[in-house]
Amino acid sequence: MMTKERRLGPHAALAFSLAGLILAVPAALLPFIGAGKLGDERVSVLFTGVRTLWDNGMRALAVLVLLCGALLPWALLATLAALHAPARYKCGPVNALLLSRAARVLEHWAFPEVQVLAVLVALMKLGSVVDVTLGPGFWCYCAMAVLLLLAQRSFDFESYETLPSARGTAGAASP
Amino acid sequence: MNLRFAPFRFKSNSTAAALGLAAAVMLVPANLLPVLDTETSGRNRSDTIFSGAVELWRHGLWVIAVIVFTASILIPILKVAGLGWLLLSVRRGVAGDSRRMTKVYAVLDFIGRWSMLDVFLAAFLTGLVQFGELSSVVPRSGIVAFAAAVVLTVFATQAFDPRALWTNPARAPSPASPP
Repeated sequence: MMTKERRLGPHAALAFSLAGLILAVPAALLPFIGAGKLGDERVSVLFTGVRTLWDNGMRALAVLVLLCGALLPWALLATLAALHAPARYKCGPVNALLLSRAARVLEHWAFPEVQVLAVLVALMKLGSVVDVTLGPGFWCYCAMAVLLLLAQRSFDFESYETLPSARGTAGAASP
Repeated sequence: MNLRFAPFRFKSNSTAAALGLAAAVMLVPANLLPVLDTETSGRNRSDTIFSGAVELWRHGLWVIAVIVFTASILIPILKVAGLGWLLLSVRRGVAGDSRRMTKVYAVLDFIGRWSMLDVFLAAFLTGLVQFGELSSVVPRSGIVAFAAAVVLTVFATQAFDPRALWTNPARAPSPASPP
């Protein structure tokens, strides 16, 4: 009852995960948002807010934002890609089970879609205060968030968690 | 005196209750303390979560105000109250429909992540709006309390074991009764 129906196959999940991982690089490096006020221009990247929080002495908060907004979504994408890797690169069933469980945990802490909504809310809020322009990094981040959702949607946790090793019996099986 | 403690298990309803209670406590400073200080053209303004949502409403940004109010005030309260209701139902053994309560748990598990909206919003605004005396945003202690409350509610939901909703002793057959 708590499980979701997965409509897309493992190849789609691998494609979504890899595409998301590739987009994570420009999302982190390219300008995210530009803001200007009376000729003063300022460009922020994905980690600018984290650095400012850190500099303001709110280090735990900075780490939380860094984890939930960037590191854990990337870790989740990498985990899903590893679980769907072609047979010759595939890990054993025990490692697959561990990765599947890691993905379950990461799902609860990876919030890229919430970060996208927060940026949109901030843009509306800032509209009257500063001139705001969206940078390519933001669009790459949005695409990465969508790809992560699609990869999660097409991943079948149950097939990994019912492996023979998960039931305590010897032997290997691929989902 | 020989004291023995039971081994700690994360996935237990007592852990969920403790974390949920801690989250409820953290929600008090989160909603009372200012979360952001804004300085625009020499005017200083200190906002709590609620006053920030009200300010958005006053500026005609009704949709955004509703989103912020829902994500930052309504969802954390609903989550703590919902988890408390599930835990009490399991404890009293008077749980109603297990299927319905499991759905409630799934909803609580899903909506929790949206509370992080205000935390990301504060991080983003403090990073972007740094124009010295013209305009600047500084995070305040309320946002730390709010982030702590959100993290605690996520941990509390994960610690809750939904199988307890299906093993209610009040509805389980008595061992003495004939099969």
